[in-house]
Amino acid sequence: MSASSPSNLKKISRFLGNIEQWVLVLLLGFLTAFAVTQIVLRNFLSAGLVWGDDLLRHGVLWISLLGATRATLERKHIRIDLLPRILPARLGLIADSLCCFISLFVCVLLTWASWNFVQGERLGGDIAFASIPYWWLVLIFPISFGLMAFRFCLNCISRLVRRPEGVER
Amino acid sequence: MKIVLTLLLIVAAISGAPLFVVISAVALLWFYFMGVDLSIVVIEMYRLAANPLLIALLFFAFAGYILAESGAGKRLVKLSTAVFGCVRGGLAVVALLSCAFFTALTGASGITIVALGGLLLPALLEERYPEDFSLGLLTSSGSLGLLFPPSLPMIIYGVVAGVSIPQLFLAGLIPGILLIVLLSMYSMYKGVRGECRVISFDFQEFIGTFRETIWELLLPVVVFGGIYSGFLAVSEAAVVTVVYVLLVALLINRDVKLKQMPTIVVKTVVMVGSIIIILGAALAFNSLLIDQQVPSKILLWIQGQVESKFAFLLILNIFLLLVGCLLDVYSALVIVAPLIVPLAQGYDINLLHLGIIFLTNLQIGYSTPPIGMNLFIASLRFEKSVLRLGAASLPFLGILLVALLIITFVPGLSLLLVR
Repeated sequence: MSASSPSNLKKISRFLGNIEQWVLVLLLGFLTAFAVTQIVLRNFLSAGLVWGDDLLRHGVLWISLLGATRATLERKHIRIDLLPRILPARLGLIADSLCCFISLFVCVLLTWASWNFVQGERLGGDIAFASIPYWWLVLIFPISFGLMAFRFCLNCISRLVRRPEGVER
Repeated sequence: MKIVLTLLLIVAAISGAPLFVVISAVALLWFYFMGVDLSIVVIEMYRLAANPLLIALLFFAFAGYILAESGAGKRLVKLSTAVFGCVRGGLAVVALLSCAFFTALTGASGITIVALGGLLLPALLEERYPEDFSLGLLTSSGSLGLLFPPSLPMIIYGVVAGVSIPQLFLAGLIPGILLIVLLSMYSMYKGVRGECRVISFDFQEFIGTFRETIWELLLPVVVFGGIYSGFLAVSEAAVVTVVYVLLVALLINRDVKLKQMPTIVVKTVVMVGSIIIILGAALAFNSLLIDQQVPSKILLWIQGQVESKFAFLLILNIFLLLVGCLLDVYSALVIVAPLIVPLAQGYDINLLHLGIIFLTNLQIGYSTPPIGMNLFIASLRFEKSVLRLGAASLPFLGILLVALLIITFVPGLSLLLVR
């Protein structure tokens, strides 16, 4: 049971967060370099990769979904937090927990739906570009939604086992 | 069952559940009750990968965050002080201009108040501008560059309404300048009447600050020269901006260190991700609305109630002001614009003009309670209560409303440069 205790989950979460940061830096660096190369090739040498634009657009999709996942960790999602501002603290906390559980539930549903989508693409077996099949490209959906679900789950847990000092052990 | 779930979602929406969760939930529920396989929601989201403008969004945001970390804001304030500081009331104009320029450069992502507020507020107070006036000025100018390229909300509107981004950028120029001129006139009037101090003009100082700022000043020339000469597509111009800003910040001015980059990247990606995930959820939601013919039903109903284009525009403005109070600019665009665009077409309103009306409204909404982002950012930055800042912004909001009416009922302002 100790593997699922809150402090271990927090360690996993911190580890994931670090990896994620480096993935983001590398991905954005790669996209920038790739886009510059494309511009130079296209404008000065009238060449360029036919699937370059496709790759960039998917790169942006990947980085955006990973960014949304990161926003879940940093609690930076765009939201309308009207009620907690005007309700007394106790009721506000209840409203907050409600949001947490709904978010968890919706992200689990989205993970499941996107997994079905990936399976469908895999059976279809279509190639997007440069011998990369579509299902690789859309794999980012279940990954991001799964991670978001994990993070919302951590938020829910930290609400259930809230300690007076706050969340840090 | 449906009613209970709907109520639950409404409560969640206003208690701070992420908007993308709420919108996705509505889409999931609706498809579930229609008996459609739920993966349709993700398939609709995947349409995000078909839009090249999101590349522009990502890279302009990246360039904006690099600029915000660099000393660009400080240099802009110094330069405009050297130019306008010698006129009575000039410092207020300095504040307006540097806020507008900085907001435009950083893509109107709400960091202007954080980056420039701390510099401009003490300067204004020192020249004996009234405190409430100064607070109101800085709070309401935090979104002043929204109509100038390459503002990110403009790109989002272009994505949603399907209009050309270069044309939209052109359409925003004159209305944007109108906003600045009207606000400047009021500020000069306050400055002259309040007998605020002036700084004497120093030519050496001017040349010095001009040299320091030259790289930021050249940036619009490089980027928009590239777009309007037809040499670069909008998304390519965004990439060029990133490279330019990186070179200037890392190699020429050296005011951003390489080790700051991971933080900048994460900030950029979090902002872009939190916008685009809402856009994705809204794609699924909108396909539902269109499938149920909701926009055309609303259009029929409204056309039965409202005859003239004039009345429609008036109602539209009131509606958008309310939306601007409740939603932030990105979610408002993504959720409301797809409904409004067919309506406006029904009343024969140019979509570029509609975009400018939309953005001006939402810009005003930035500084209005209860969800005005500017109010909260300024409240954190200046350590003043949201209520006081709201009251201090009122005169400026009044002027912005006048400008809004002019922009709405004189379409020529938006369309002059486009034709």
